[in-house]
Amino acid sequence: MLSFPQETGEKTGNKMERSFKKEVQSLRLGAGETFRGEGILAVTKALLQSGVAYVGGYQGAPVSHLVDVLVESQDMLDELGIHLETCANEASAAALLAASINYPLRGAVTWKSIVGTNVASDALSNLASAGVMGGALIVVGEDYGEGASVIQERSHAFALKSSVWLLDPRPNLPTIVDLVEKSFQLSEATNTPVMMELRIRACHVTGEFTAKDNIAPAYSRKHLLAGPAPQNYDKLSHPPATFRQEKHKHEVRLPAARKFILEHGLNEIFDAPEKSVGVIVQGGLYNAALRAMSQLGLADAFGQARLPVLVLNVTHPLVPEQILQFCAGKDAVLLIEEGQPDYIEQSLNSMLRRADLQTNIVGKDVLPMAGEYTAEVLADGVRLFVAQHAPHLIDVERSNRLQALKQGRSTALAALGGEMPTRPPNFCTGCPERPLFTAIKLLQREIGPTHIATDIGCHSFATFAPFSLGNSILGYGMSLASAAGVGPMLDKRPISVMGDGGFWHNGVVSGVSSSLFNRGDGVLVILQNGYTSATGAQFLPNSKGNRKDDESTSDIETTLRAMGVTWLRTVRTYSLPKMIDTLRQAMTTQQKGLKVIIADGECQLARQRRIKPQIAAQVARGQRVVRTRYGVDERTCTGDHACVRLSACPSLTIAPNPDPLKSDPVAYVDNDCVGCGLCGEVAHAAVLCPSFYRAEIIQNPRWYDRALASFRATVIGWLNGTRRAPSSTATPQPVAAE
Amino acid sequence: MTVERPVTLLIAALGGEGGGVLTDWIVQAAIACDLPVQATSVPGVAQRTGATTYYIEIFPQTRTELAGRQPLFALLPAMGEVDVMLASELLEAGRAAGNGFVTPDRTLLIASTHRVYSVAEKTALGDGRFDMNSLLQTVEQRATERVLIDMQALANHSGSPISAVMLGALAGTNRLPIPANAFIAAIKAEGKSVAANIAGFEAGRAAVTQPAVPVTRAPQATRQSVAQQLAAFDGPARSIIEIGVGRLVDYQNAAYAQLYLDRLATIRDGETRVGSDGSLLREVARHLAVRMAFDDVIRVAQLKIDPARAANVRREVRAKASEPLNVIDYFKPGIEEICSILPPRLAEPILRLSAKRGWLGRVYVGMHIKSNSIFGFLRLKFLSKLRWMRPKSLRWRDEQALTERWLRAIVAALPLSPALAREIADCAKLIKGYGDTHKRGWGRFDRIFGQIVEPALLGMMPPSVAVDAIANAKVAALGDEEGTKLDAVLAAIAATPQLGKAAE
Repeated sequence: MLSFPQETGEKTGNKMERSFKKEVQSLRLGAGETFRGEGILAVTKALLQSGVAYVGGYQGAPVSHLVDVLVESQDMLDELGIHLETCANEASAAALLAASINYPLRGAVTWKSIVGTNVASDALSNLASAGVMGGALIVVGEDYGEGASVIQERSHAFALKSSVWLLDPRPNLPTIVDLVEKSFQLSEATNTPVMMELRIRACHVTGEFTAKDNIAPAYSRKHLLAGPAPQNYDKLSHPPATFRQEKHKHEVRLPAARKFILEHGLNEIFDAPEKSVGVIVQGGLYNAALRAMSQLGLADAFGQARLPVLVLNVTHPLVPEQILQFCAGKDAVLLIEEGQPDYIEQSLNSMLRRADLQTNIVGKDVLPMAGEYTAEVLADGVRLFVAQHAPHLIDVERSNRLQALKQGRSTALAALGGEMPTRPPNFCTGCPERPLFTAIKLLQREIGPTHIATDIGCHSFATFAPFSLGNSILGYGMSLASAAGVGPMLDKRPISVMGDGGFWHNGVVSGVSSSLFNRGDGVLVILQNGYTSATGAQFLPNSKGNRKDDESTSDIETTLRAMGVTWLRTVRTYSLPKMIDTLRQAMTTQQKGLKVIIADGECQLARQRRIKPQIAAQVARGQRVVRTRYGVDERTCTGDHACVRLSACPSLTIAPNPDPLKSDPVAYVDNDCVGCGLCGEVAHAAVLCPSFYRAEIIQNPRWYDRALASFRATVIGWLNGTRRAPSSTATPQPVAAE
Repeated sequence: MTVERPVTLLIAALGGEGGGVLTDWIVQAAIACDLPVQATSVPGVAQRTGATTYYIEIFPQTRTELAGRQPLFALLPAMGEVDVMLASELLEAGRAAGNGFVTPDRTLLIASTHRVYSVAEKTALGDGRFDMNSLLQTVEQRATERVLIDMQALANHSGSPISAVMLGALAGTNRLPIPANAFIAAIKAEGKSVAANIAGFEAGRAAVTQPAVPVTRAPQATRQSVAQQLAAFDGPARSIIEIGVGRLVDYQNAAYAQLYLDRLATIRDGETRVGSDGSLLREVARHLAVRMAFDDVIRVAQLKIDPARAANVRREVRAKASEPLNVIDYFKPGIEEICSILPPRLAEPILRLSAKRGWLGRVYVGMHIKSNSIFGFLRLKFLSKLRWMRPKSLRWRDEQALTERWLRAIVAALPLSPALAREIADCAKLIKGYGDTHKRGWGRFDRIFGQIVEPALLGMMPPSVAVDAIANAKVAALGDEEGTKLDAVLAAIAATPQLGKAAE
């Protein structure tokens, strides 16, 4: 069991970071009703309208909500007989689609790309090779641009290598919903899984569409299949079937897909009077491209452009006859394709060459090869394209305005003195993960620097200032594995940090099992906060509850012992001295082998969400409640901020020095403090200063509280020579001089 | 001809400030007004206290008027295409301007003037805050119109989240084609903390429509006894000296305050001789009072039991008058702190022994004292009463020697260059804090004095060069905890041929 420090015996309850009560209602909308909401929830609704029999996925921005909202819709799923699998990782999710290989079942899974697709890729290859009978859809959240928390790579590569069709829909809800429904048809018509990539802003874009009724699948938990499918060797991705499948992809499935795309008009052509030039754009970038064009006077507010536009809602496969027809007769075509390599551009050039068309394909020569295509990048690219290939379309006034604005911006930046302080994400107020990094920092002062293998999760924020801890990040659950070759080369054990999310996702096998097997001699710290917190506090096997009952299904400590870990300590993260001491032991013990420290403390966001209403209710009922928070005495604080450098709690900030003799700002604890106590522990453990205090405010005091307080105030007032308790209105008065 | 285009609104907020809810209110209000609307955001991990933005486009014609025509909305804000920039904090407003989202031909800027400090600003060893003046000036210049108010203060005052105040301010400007009552209806329809949100909304709106006196933090009143001699210190330094005298009477006694005035008299006279404007005296007065009222355990105990402190804490933690309040203070004096209040003859052997045994920096007396309990109070009171011991203590001896060294250098520098004297005076800011922080500051002060200040006063370095060298060294000394920056600066100075000698 978890040993969270707070109230015992209370269940965690089904509380994800965001509640989807309203959204759950909108999933039930019937034909003709108007659905309003975010893109990713529209996808969820579209799945139900498509008659899926099973859904699954692994959380990650920006697609976490797809599964989250279904978790809260269990009743409706039961009614429709749909199975929901909250998978342990993306590989499980991809493997889930195997149900569509042998059975006429439609299924959909989701994860964050590129990383999730990487994890899924083994199952994905096997699935794609065998091919599907029931429609199989993979919704990937493309986290490529701003706010991206992962490496920038294209999911496109996976679609190409595994022959999976890739949809990149125009980011408006009716188009997305329509394409989800068509994806299943496409998948079934071509025996191929379909991948739909949705960029982060498309997942969160608001909009509306006219709903249809949800479709109960023909076969489901309510209407079982007649029996297991008879063995069909051609459905196995196993030789020699794989040789036939590889040919089948090219000879049968690809032509079928091109035919379907053309016949169902999946790609869109918006025609225009201009004939000499045109634009081909990935569907997901359509709105941005059109806005860039309207900034240059090439389109109006309703999407009518002055030059024709081919929107590739399907980016793999491309349909040569459609491309050639669009390019024919044009001098030049601007291709807007985000990211590298420029797969589409290469493909287009090869098509044109084979057809001996002389149309100039302009892509990465006016647009950057790498990085997000922001509004400004696109405006610059379109401007260059027009200047080079269609100067008659130039709107001089608008072009000049954009240049002037850039100049003005540079001036503004210069006036601001250059670099603005950045604001990367940070541990929340009272986060239980922060104390671990304070402990590591303090221990390093003692024993010197250590190699830190970092992982994916909230704890990776420790790589930012002020902790600046971490030497490598190799993927989710990979920290321990990534230290395996480092440890033997150093005289000090590396410290690998992993969240409980990463542990169950991958770390238990890739890291722990491998390290034990090789008799590795390192230190692993597992931050056990009970949720995958960075993605919105979804449940884990070790959560004090799961979506079906309130029991935890697996326990990390028991698992590790069963695997053969002998040096194992569980420490409450907020106990800073104990954490430092345990880390020191792990780093210095003579015992060889893996040393694991479970740093235990419930996600503070989840905890606050859980206990805040409880406490408010207790106070309202008149119960005696002690509220704790921390503070800094501004008169003893000297403005060195060493306390902030060891914590950076959002609630521990700075304020102007009230002392007219001092100019450095003082440390200051604001009223978001949740009373975790780390700042006091830090001041104590690092011997910083005597400025920190803990305040205990007794709400709804009993007679004895009041009597004691009044007695103390009277005696102290008398001893202090003020003869009465200080009131809150007292003005500062220096103690009388001797 | 007016161009048909959407009204665009970019919201910059920090994770956890309710930017998502604010966006939702605006979207719902637009829908209620039959206006086409689209919002996007990039929540992700940015909601973990990072900077984040929300982008909304609203078409200013109703759907009925559009009769089926569908406006095309962008998902990304574009430079020069933002009508309203709504920032929950001033640095974020600056960031938006730096990104080209506040432009003089189009943008109304609505920003809160309060600051939420970034980690870099908070972790500086001294004052690392971003320059407010350039920030305010720039954002004002970049906007067509601007509303700059302290929305956090309004939020605190009305007990609402800042997002509600932002919505109110937005409504007050009337820039969106949405009437205020539609926003209020959206708050009510959302149904959470309605009363608080409406209070915040109204506060924000009133601040725009009926601008009031800006809310500012009242400076702390400090009463002090004013000695007769103060008359001799007329000029810009007077107010500071008054505070200094009061501080030192409180800290030790009137005689100590007299010593303060005597020390300042030398500076004043020196400045008069060179015809300086008295600005040096003001700076020295400020630093000298802080130096002389150095923080030792006696002082800390005295401040902790000051009745004003109890009142401060009560206000700060927002305890109601009816709620009893316990205050637990964290102390952890080490051998050095304890020895520092003992006479040198007693302290030095203990320190020598402790150093030999390796106790320094390892042995501490950790105490959590409930200072509002009678026993806790008495322990602190006892400590605070040890002021009589202070003038005989080791720390006193060292502090007075250091102060004299510093003052002598300032006086000696005055005839050479008043700028040099000011730089030397400002070195005092390096020494502050307790324990390691104090030791580190003291050590760096000592190095700068030994390697730049004193050689310069001996004529081994031209004053103008010394001024720059000291300024650089001070910045470096406050640049990092490890001291690598100061090492580099001092090494560079030592390596300069003409100054190499000086550093020897």
